[in-house]
Amino acid sequence: MNSPLGRVLESLLSGQFICQTTDEDSYRFLKSSENQQQVEAQLAIMNRRLATAAEEQVFFAAYADIGESERDQLSKQFEDISNHLMPLVEWMLLVQEALNKDLSLSQGMNLRLAELQTVIEDTPAYAEQLNKISRYAMFGSKAAELDAQLKLVFKRLVELGYLVRPNQDKQIYTVTGKIDYLFDVIKFIDETEQLSLAQQAEDAMSQTNLI
Amino acid sequence: MNHNLQKAGATLLNALSRHSDLVMQAYFSGAIDESEYSPKVIKSLIDLKIMWRPENERGLRLRPALRTLLEESLQDESNRQIDANIGSSLASLSTLAEHYKESLSHGRYREAESHLSDLTERVYSLTDMLATNVRLIWQRISNEFGYVSTVDAKIRENELAQSQVSELLNQLSLFQFDQLSLIAGSHRELRTLLVVTLQSSFAHCTQELSLAQSKLIDLLGRFREFKGRTRLLKGFVLHMEQKPDFAPQNYSKLSQVPSLFNVSGAVIKPASIDVNRVEQEHELLSLVQSMKHINRNKQAVRSVSNTGPLVMQDSVAVALEESRLKAAVETFFCDVIDAGQNVTALDYYEQKGLDFDKEVWLYQIIGGYHGLTEQDKAYFAVETIGEPDPQFNGNYVIRDIELGLR
Repeated sequence: MNSPLGRVLESLLSGQFICQTTDEDSYRFLKSSENQQQVEAQLAIMNRRLATAAEEQVFFAAYADIGESERDQLSKQFEDISNHLMPLVEWMLLVQEALNKDLSLSQGMNLRLAELQTVIEDTPAYAEQLNKISRYAMFGSKAAELDAQLKLVFKRLVELGYLVRPNQDKQIYTVTGKIDYLFDVIKFIDETEQLSLAQQAEDAMSQTNLI
Repeated sequence: MNHNLQKAGATLLNALSRHSDLVMQAYFSGAIDESEYSPKVIKSLIDLKIMWRPENERGLRLRPALRTLLEESLQDESNRQIDANIGSSLASLSTLAEHYKESLSHGRYREAESHLSDLTERVYSLTDMLATNVRLIWQRISNEFGYVSTVDAKIRENELAQSQVSELLNQLSLFQFDQLSLIAGSHRELRTLLVVTLQSSFAHCTQELSLAQSKLIDLLGRFREFKGRTRLLKGFVLHMEQKPDFAPQNYSKLSQVPSLFNVSGAVIKPASIDVNRVEQEHELLSLVQSMKHINRNKQAVRSVSNTGPLVMQDSVAVALEESRLKAAVETFFCDVIDAGQNVTALDYYEQKGLDFDKEVWLYQIIGGYHGLTEQDKAYFAVETIGEPDPQFNGNYVIRDIELGLR
């Protein structure tokens, strides 16, 4: 059996994001500053340090010093993330609108695949949107059936760590802290590139209201 | 006890139970459809002050008091009224306490008793009201204003609840326990009611309310965050629609990589199976058993070209060796003919001092014999000397060969 410290190190070194949903024990372990120091000491050997995002809701390993090879690695990762942004954003909006929750996804939220599927099947606009999303390179679906598209999208999101499926027998998925990390990324891009996205959305909404 | 009042109360309750369908319809839909019920029933309900008509030409509605009763008893979450009129309750409490003290000092015990029971009723209804209000607020917090669907509505509800909490807290500050204890004086009953009961209720209520207040502010923050997030997502989609070629600059190229994008790569791969660990044998076996399909990589097609350069090898020595053996066997056959006697192969071997391997020698003789033409074979008689294998039946071990002429 692996010790808590070992488990945490293994998750961090295999590039996982630790949050309350993915691994509650490890998350609690990392919440204590004493344990954090232990983890930092071990990570330092491999030129890594402990990093957090989304108001300390997620922990991950970052590079301590960034040399040439690290920079290449980060650059590749960044490309992945920016390629994934659009499909993910569209997916999140689809889920949010389909479930009519009006609450954007955040850690710990449960998504019932069957519920989502019924709504999407009944609404052609959503079905079309799902079809579009599933064809992005990130998901790469070639299926024509809605059922297969939806399952593939969810499977891929589990692989990428945005969702977990606590019970393998049930089609219920839980949103992980990586989604909150993603929001941080969008916010960062918004601020750095001075896109004022929220303002754009506000303007668009008030325009539709006027019409 | 007033007999008439009792009778009227029973009539009212009977009417409520007889027309419960109508009352519940009015409760849920606000007003009732008068065409569905007989005018007589409706008139009696109006007379009993169960229903009322706010204005002419308007539908019949439930009396607010009855509605409140239903909301309270059903713990319906649509009950969002909070009655915070503590000031007037307190004033009536002190008035009643004065009545009670006066009656007592004049020796009118019957009157004093009735005042005291009145006062008790008021105090308990005040504490009950406080507890109900706190419960209502918590109920709304715990289901996160689930009765409205949009975040905007939730934010408005939250603001309403916050104003109600602060109103309640303001009202609670009207409790002046020094005055209350002055009013209660040395009367034991008054002191229990006005000081002990009210104070415990007060303490409990203020504590809960301040907790509720912080929780409400917390929730409000979360709702705003949700709203902000939705706006962010929608804004992003809009932005991408307007500028489809937009791509953020690669932040990892900056001299100071933002911590958000500094995510180290995976370095650990799952460990491999150690087949030599006996203690893991059981797990490994069960793993193998559960394997349903083995996918082997197809063998790569052998390339035709030779990998090494071709080198001419010296094969003469080998041929010589072989021919030497062959020559020796031929000589042996000739010698047998010349001698005209039976000779065993090994005796001949010893005699001539040959240096081949004995087994090779015997094989070569057998081979040489079989290599002769049928005509030549007829001259020789070959006998093998040996014994059956001690362990495996059907095997015959040849020790020597005797060759002679027929």
